[in-house]
Amino acid sequence: MVEFKNITYNYSSKSGIYNIDLNIQDDEFCFLVGPTGSGKSTLLKLLYFDLFPDKGQVNVLGYSSKKIKKKDIYKTRKKIGVIFQDYKLLKQRTVYENIALPLHINGFGRKKISSLVSEALELTELSRYAKKFPNQLSGGEQQRVCIARAIVKNPDIILADEPTGNLDPTAGHRILRILEQINKEGTCVIMATHNYKLIAEKPYRIIELDQGRVVSE
Amino acid sequence: MIDKIAFLFSEGLKNFLRNKLTNFLCIVTILINFTILGTFFVVGFNTDSLVDFFRSKYTFEIFLNDDVSLEQSAVIIKKIESNSVISSTILIDKEKSADIFLEEFGEDVVDMLGYNPLPMSLKVSLEKDNFDLNKVELLINDIENYDFVDSVEYRGIYIDSIEDKINLFIFFFLISVIGIVFISIQMISNTVKLSMSNRSDFIEILQYNGASDTFIKIPFFIESILQSIIGSFIAFLLVNYSFIVINSYFNLNVQIDNFLWAWMIGLCLITGLYASNKAMKKILV
Repeated sequence: MVEFKNITYNYSSKSGIYNIDLNIQDDEFCFLVGPTGSGKSTLLKLLYFDLFPDKGQVNVLGYSSKKIKKKDIYKTRKKIGVIFQDYKLLKQRTVYENIALPLHINGFGRKKISSLVSEALELTELSRYAKKFPNQLSGGEQQRVCIARAIVKNPDIILADEPTGNLDPTAGHRILRILEQINKEGTCVIMATHNYKLIAEKPYRIIELDQGRVVSE
Repeated sequence: MIDKIAFLFSEGLKNFLRNKLTNFLCIVTILINFTILGTFFVVGFNTDSLVDFFRSKYTFEIFLNDDVSLEQSAVIIKKIESNSVISSTILIDKEKSADIFLEEFGEDVVDMLGYNPLPMSLKVSLEKDNFDLNKVELLINDIENYDFVDSVEYRGIYIDSIEDKINLFIFFFLISVIGIVFISIQMISNTVKLSMSNRSDFIEILQYNGASDTFIKIPFFIESILQSIIGSFIAFLLVNYSFIVINSYFNLNVQIDNFLWAWMIGLCLITGLYASNKAMKKILV
């Protein structure tokens, strides 16, 4: 499903990633760990074609970084749910509208949208906040909205870039529990984090990066 | 599909209502440019009828041979008047010619010479409507070949000179129209760029959630359509009522094209959509 073939990506002003080879399976839950600047976010960005490798090839859900045209990137992103550390929510829209956005993009009807958003709200325990605006919620709640928005379209992969980075430990554990639940339903989850404590004792694959290289798996 | 279209339309409408300042600036830009353009259209529209009117004032004179009788001249007049470019023909006989000479030069030619040497002539007025310079010139060439005609005096050279001035005016008119459209495109394009950079977060979120470029563009196009319709319609009202007031105040008869509103709104829509697309091309893909 996800394949990194000898990937190198260089930033002009900071270090990138070098000669990475990785394969991640369909239903895997996988942590990318490492200190800030180790290349975790770069790997995720390469997965949703926000960046393109200088060397090597990324294959995601049947699309290849070498062949995909810029105008077709959206087709891959329709199948990927992305969770950001800074939430990236629309402040002028309610929680419901934020979560419904990917469904509008996918052309769902109003009734279907309503039922899918309700499911996502329930899963993330946000049902009572549906009509609130993001700035009326705490950081943890906003991050759950972000998760709900990512899962509502039933994606094949969830990419979570430091989803607990701005949260207290309790909220962090709650987020992780939701992601585990999503994974149990068959969605591949790739989560970048530098919070070793949070993932300790979790039975999932951990890929450790340092200075742009995989140092342990 | 219908749900998607409804969503995009409502997004465009919501964006339009949310971004009041940007949209206000864009509408003012359109209003100023299209008021000038609308005024140009009205002036251009009236230039044609004014020119036609002046052209119709031109006449030519046919000087007949000395041996042509009054009866023959009546036949000649009938023949000339049968042509569609001719509106009327006046016979100036030898006596009238002498009177005109007296009026213009203050001398009685018959007293001076003891006889009247002035020829009989026909003053021919051209048809006001459907003036066609080529047809007139062809007719004059024909008349010059008639046996009873001594000569034809035609001030076509003045018409040519006026035609040159009209062409020059039309040239500057077109340059001005192109200039205004170009300025409008630049200004609308910059407003759209500003609007898009204000909403870069929104665009980014849409992109990360799998929106195609077309999906992102459509609400901006809808916004642009609304701006164009409002801006150009107000401009049309302004131009229309200004000329109504000018007509009544100065007792003029400036004509306004019945389809001026369609020209203005249509051109503005094309300009707005092109400018939006131009701005978005630079930001998306």
